This record gives sequence, C-alpha cells and structure tokens, in this order.
Amino acid sequence: METMLFTPDSLWTMVHGIGLGGGAMLGLFAALFAVRTLTVDAEPGPSAAAQVRSMGWLLVGSALLLWATVIIGTYVIFPPYRATPPEGLTDLSQYPRALIRSNPGTAWLHTYAMETKEHVPWIAAMLATAGAFIGLRYRSAVLRDPQVRNIVTALLATCFVLVAYAAILGVFVNKVAPLD
Amino acid sequence: MAILEVERARVNGAALAAYLGAGIGAFAMGLFVILNETGVFAAPALYGPAGGVTGRTAFAVVAWLIAWGVLHRRWKDQELAAGRVHAATIGLILLGLVLTFPPVWALF
Repeated sequence: METMLFTPDSLWTMVHGIGLGGGAMLGLFAALFAVRTLTVDAEPGPSAAAQVRSMGWLLVGSALLLWATVIIGTYVIFPPYRATPPEGLTDLSQYPRALIRSNPGTAWLHTYAMETKEHVPWIAAMLATAGAFIGLRYRSAVLRDPQVRNIVTALLATCFVLVAYAAILGVFVNKVAPLD
Repeated sequence: MAILEVERARVNGAALAAYLGAGIGAFAMGLFVILNETGVFAAPALYGPAGGVTGRTAFAVVAWLIAWGVLHRRWKDQELAAGRVHAATIGLILLGLVLTFPPVWALF
C-alpha cells in the first residue's frame, strides 16, 4: 500500500504556518529593522529612493502575506480542525479539536491557544495594513519624520509580537494534534 | 529619485487616521468576541464549516474599514496633535486584545 507523505490538509497547514505566516514574520521584522535604521538626507539621492521603494515593498508584502495567512487559516485550516467526529469513534486522530479536548492535559490547547489564534491574527493583519498604507502614502517621510516613523514602528512592533505569539500557539497545537 | 522628487510635504492626518482606524478595528474584534462569549450577540457564520469566527472577523473588518474611511476623509488634509491619537490607539489595541483573551471571558 502506498503511503502519502503529506496529505492535502497537512500541506495547507505548512503553507499557512511556514510559508505565509513565516514569510510575514520575516517581512515584518525586516520592515521594522528598515524603518528604525535607514535614514534619508534632506536632499536624498537615487540610492535613497531605492531604499524607500524597498521599504514600501516590505511593508506591503508583509501585510499581503499576513492577510493570506489569516484567510487560509480561518477558511481552509480551521474547518477540518473543528470537524465533529462520528458518535462513538474512539480514534480521534483525524479530528484535532476533539482529540485535544478529550484529554484534560491538552484541553487548554483549544480553550486558550486555538481560541486566541482565531482572533488575534486578524488584529495583526489590520495593524500591518495600516503600516503598509502609511509606508506607501508617506514614502521617505517614514524615514525622515520622527512622528510618522514612530507610528509605523508601533504598528510593526505590535504586529510582530502578535504574529509570533499566534505562531508559537500554532506550533503547540500542531505538535499535539496535527492535521493529517 | 523620481519617487522623492514628486513627493510633496504631507500633513500627518492620513497617518493618524490609519493608526486610530487600526486601533478601532482591534477593539471591534474584541467587542464582537466578548459579545459572542456572553451570549449578547453572535455574528452569523459566513462559512458554515468554519463556524462563527467567520462572522465575528468579518464584522470586525467591516467596522475597521468604515472607521478608517470616516477618519481618513475627515483628517487627510489636517495636521493633528499626535499625542491623544497615539494614546487612544494604544488603549484600543490593548482593550481589543484583552477582550480576545480567553481567560477574561470567564469574568463576564
């Protein structure tokens, strides 16, 4: 009998968590680093324009990756996670929510971790979008104007912490009850 | 270089509108979650297999976009004092996060 190394559900989980979510985290950190460390002179040259353009792409790319992460997480990953097992079934390995709730030692992974993951990443996506909008609209002023720079910094830093937090919770859930 | 040459001096209103709008969106998320958990209002599911989270998140996103749009229209040509907006935004984000924090639901 041929054994599938990865099922469609497990592939989607990897796309969601490693590809999109991981990419968003990398982009957010890179954007945060750029916003805090790059400087633009009063009379900027061509290299400054390239830096500003790169920063804009980082901000927009991070926000897009984050939206893709939360939408796939909610509409593709979550349904098989929360599927209800048939009455009397003893092997719950194909029903992650039922599996982790069946053991008092792992029930918190649903009542705390997954319940948090359902909502907090959407907040992060809104914050990242605001940061991307400001980056596109204000361009070099993000690097020149301390007030605008601080707003984008606050948005990106908060967003990064929330995404990292949700990602860690996702790792815990997937460790105990992976979507196979 | 073209990017920088065409830039004109911008007032801070649009940035603050996006910032506060995101704070309102975060609070809206928390509000729809706590209303659901207390049984006051359950947003209808947009996609049955995923359940009520699809309704709660969609309602919060709509509230965020409306708030941002209204603020943007009012503030985009203005230079505003950032202090209060910053404080309000941080407060709204924190409040939204607290309301989505599962242990808090048991207090209501």
